Amino acid sequence: MSENEKAVVDIDRSVYDIKDVENEQDFYRMEDGFTEDIVMKISEEKHDPEWMRKFRLDCLKLYNSLDMPPWGPDTDELDMNLISSYVRSKSDMKGKWEDVPEDIKNTFERLGIPEAERESLAGVGAQYDSELVYHNVKDEVSDQGVVYTDMESALTGEYSEMVHEYFMKLVPPTDHKFAALHGAVWSGGSFVYVPKGVKVDIPLQSYFRLNAAGAGQFEHTLIIVDEGADLHFIEGCSAPKYNVANLHAGCVELFVKKNARLRYSTIENWSKNMYNLNTKRALVEEGARMEWVSGSFGSHTSYLYPMTILKGDHSQMEYTGITFAGKGQNLDTGAKVVHQGKYTSSLISTKSISKSGGIGTYRSSVVINKEAKHAKTSVSCDSLMLDSISRADTIPGMDIRTDDADVGHEAKIGRISDEAVFYLMSRGLSEEDARAMIVSGFANPVSKELPLEYAVEMNNLIKLEMSGG
Amino acid sequence: MDIKMNVNHLPALTYRFLKANDSEIDLKDLYIEDTKTPEPENIPSSVTVKSDLSEDDVKEIFLKVNEKIESKKADLPGPNGDTAPLNDGQIVRTGMGAAVDNLMKEMNVPVTVYTVSEGYKTEEPVVVKYSLKNGSCVLGSQVIHAKKNSEITVIMEYDSEENAKGFLGIQTRLLAEEGAKINLIKVQMLSEDVMHFDDVGGICDDNADIETINMQLGAKDTWGGDRITLLGDKSIYNNHTGYLCRHKQTYDMNYVADQIGKKTESNMIFRGVLLDEAVKTFRGTLDFKAGSAGSVGDEQEDTLLLSPDVINRTMPVILCQEEDVDGRHGASIGQLGDDVLFYMESRGIDEEEAKRLMIRARMESIARMIPDEAMIVRIQQYIRNIL
Amino acid sequence: MSDKSLLQVSSLSASVDDLPILHNINLEIRPGETHVLMGPNGAGKSTLGYTLMGNPHYRVTEGSILFDGEDITSLSADKRAKAGMFLSFQNPLEVPGISLGSFIRNAYHEQTGKPVKLLQYKKQLAEAMELLTMDGTYADRDLNVGFSGGEKKKAEILQMLMLKPKLAILDETDSGLDVDAVRTVSKGIQEYQKQKDGALLIITHSTKILESLHVDYTHVLVKGHIVTTGDGSLVEEINEHGFEKYTRCEGCDGCSPLSAN
Repeated sequence: MSENEKAVVDIDRSVYDIKDVENEQDFYRMEDGFTEDIVMKISEEKHDPEWMRKFRLDCLKLYNSLDMPPWGPDTDELDMNLISSYVRSKSDMKGKWEDVPEDIKNTFERLGIPEAERESLAGVGAQYDSELVYHNVKDEVSDQGVVYTDMESALTGEYSEMVHEYFMKLVPPTDHKFAALHGAVWSGGSFVYVPKGVKVDIPLQSYFRLNAAGAGQFEHTLIIVDEGADLHFIEGCSAPKYNVANLHAGCVELFVKKNARLRYSTIENWSKNMYNLNTKRALVEEGARMEWVSGSFGSHTSYLYPMTILKGDHSQMEYTGITFAGKGQNLDTGAKVVHQGKYTSSLISTKSISKSGGIGTYRSSVVINKEAKHAKTSVSCDSLMLDSISRADTIPGMDIRTDDADVGHEAKIGRISDEAVFYLMSRGLSEEDARAMIVSGFANPVSKELPLEYAVEMNNLIKLEMSGG
Repeated sequence: MDIKMNVNHLPALTYRFLKANDSEIDLKDLYIEDTKTPEPENIPSSVTVKSDLSEDDVKEIFLKVNEKIESKKADLPGPNGDTAPLNDGQIVRTGMGAAVDNLMKEMNVPVTVYTVSEGYKTEEPVVVKYSLKNGSCVLGSQVIHAKKNSEITVIMEYDSEENAKGFLGIQTRLLAEEGAKINLIKVQMLSEDVMHFDDVGGICDDNADIETINMQLGAKDTWGGDRITLLGDKSIYNNHTGYLCRHKQTYDMNYVADQIGKKTESNMIFRGVLLDEAVKTFRGTLDFKAGSAGSVGDEQEDTLLLSPDVINRTMPVILCQEEDVDGRHGASIGQLGDDVLFYMESRGIDEEEAKRLMIRARMESIARMIPDEAMIVRIQQYIRNIL
Repeated sequence: MSDKSLLQVSSLSASVDDLPILHNINLEIRPGETHVLMGPNGAGKSTLGYTLMGNPHYRVTEGSILFDGEDITSLSADKRAKAGMFLSFQNPLEVPGISLGSFIRNAYHEQTGKPVKLLQYKKQLAEAMELLTMDGTYADRDLNVGFSGGEKKKAEILQMLMLKPKLAILDETDSGLDVDAVRTVSKGIQEYQKQKDGALLIITHSTKILESLHVDYTHVLVKGHIVTTGDGSLVEEINEHGFEKYTRCEGCDGCSPLSAN
């Protein structure tokens, strides 16, 4: 075990669980539910351009007309009439950390966000409930022409046309019920544009904190990495635990242009009352590469399948994911990929751990279209069952429409071998530590893809879960 | 009559756009003229055959094992998108599901039951041959019941007159009592204008063993479903399926190994070749139920795609509610590998011939397990004619 | 032996995935001659075998290969096989569903275009298998499926004896075999040398297999270059002193682009 890993062993989950009692005068909270009236109010509140106002209303109609998919986790306990679509602090977004309201600042400081920014990030956005409260980009990065701003500013500012051109084009509101809902009530999120040929050496990060009980977070992230450019974007999420359901229905749209590369890393640690119905999608052009690294630890119920469309010839995607489903959790996660261009390749590798009655489902689809000659795909999914009251299900699907494809799929399910535990115990580890070490080893292919600070956080989360925290 | 029903439900539903959650059989203007199971060519003395039995009789046969299944049910959540409730009420859960039961009931199809007496191991296979005449539509239903420590081999052969049009729908249910073994072999060489379904459901009690071999070589649209419930401890299910689809043939299948007992074993192998505009949908599920400690399951699919116009859907599912199991699935789908091709070519065999050779090799590797030399020769000839 | 050349490799360079492996190889083999290609691991010996046989993965970037007077540089492997070239694979392929016997029959039929006389064929096959101390049942077993390493190599030599090529390239046929198996394989090779003007290119990095064989020429391949060529006695020398002399030689360090770094 390295020094770094040792240092975090003692941190406990309480840091994520701190509830900041919101002083009501300082916060604006939309009435609960999703009606035309409420959507109009959000639109006014945000000074939407006319097209966006109309778009929101159309999306609401769609939301009401679409059904829930028959295949995923149960959402019966999610009462949409008890969710507030919009909660914001009455203070404006700040560009300086000192100016962020004290209580919000405290929350983020406890989560280590400003520290991470100082040490290892090129820029940070911090969203608290429905709006960004802080946004900052290092000068040397903005000097390269990199744009990193909140969606609202992007919608009305210099990049308004670009936003109009790309907004919900990749994830159309018709995609599914919660995509439509997102279109109707979205707020917050980030807009990133990396100009042609610019390589951003250190990652940008967005941190999402949903603090209000019974609230929904509907942030929209739009990233365009122009030709030959390179970006690593990190997303972190957390929320304190409440007894009422919270909802996260964000949307991430990623455009990776010719020969560009985008790595999108997520460590998701929503509290266990959260319904996480998030949609992420990337469109990858010729010779470009999309990399996803995804760790799902939190939330009560998740539907999360980042999708990649390999549109251009020779485009590539790699998805590395881990899901840890503990007590009371139903985490339905995986990846989707569509091969459209020739010589495209995809590599999906996932790990899933189920414990204490948790339900972990790996779900995926690989589609290779007729045009995608010489496409290559390789899927490998491993599940680990830690007891016999949990579930670990693997439900992959493949639709291959050309003979000129090379398709490999491997799935495995198993347990921690008694022999391995015995071996480690014979070297002096307690059984609990031995099992935790084996699980960390199982998760290692994912953690090694993350920047050190995040790998450490992930290992910490695994330890928390293993000890029943 | 018309047949319109949804069959082959994926045990746990997934994305609708994959169009593989189930399959619809939609056939019009069928005149079902025959619902009798043909007389086998020979019946070994240890086997008794009763025809004209009803669903109530079948219920009686499976009464005991069904009580055992009921008693082992754990009150734990099913998978997301569980389709088990859709097929509630089947006496024996089958691969294709309750819709086939309903059709058989509606058409009053009598059930033929083959029973092997306790302790008898019959070496001679029972051969049941359906030969379809042009224009005929046939439904059939059988139960194979192997009593304690017995063994039976049943070969069911489906063929038809050349260029015959028609329909053949079969349901076969299996009960392997403690220590018993059932070998069920299905060989389908129907003409390319016949619509066909073949539904299988079986239950294995302690130390029992069900082995199935499926050769799917003909017909126009084929639906096949095998669901074996490994109820007893140390029960075993082995399956080998070989299929060859060409022209516009479709083959829609649903295989499930339901592993309930302790130390159960399932092993499924699928080898197929798709040519021309063939469409195949494969669903294969290993379902480790709570309590199936010590069980193992393995599913391997290997599909050779030999035309740019084929469609191959593969849904390899593993469901698991038990810690102490070992389950795996592997799929390899694509053209003839470069290394295979080069090896063949280095022996002077060109690409076209190498393809023919590999098609034959795949089919024969499955066919060869059939304990009937004459049948193997017929399969070889059928494949040679096709190629 | 005759003066006419059977294989004429001229200034041959080849790459794998755009990585140059072979450099400016020149090699001539006449009918009936036995050549040995030696060299340390990673020298490119197997690459030369594959390139001669026409594995599409190995790309000829320069030079030409003449076989029996014909330029085969861009011919596919099956045409080279039909022309009389044979490669014994280091890792022979497993094919479930096709028996060893019927595979050889198929290959024989493809190469000669003549119908196979079954009785005569079976007799020949049985004789060859006996020579190689292979159990007759192997003919009915699936090609290489479940064969041990030694059985796979014997099956390759069996194919060579049955197909009677003009040139047989044996790629590490002795690797991984025990003493008895090497002796048996070696017996098979002697039989091949005996029965006609069969030429051989034996690729090996050990010398065990060569002990009972007559060797006409020995070539040493280092880092993709043939650094020296000698007669059969060179085998002995390498047996005693190894390749060190050649890997360190001035000519090599100067000529190999790979060693420059």
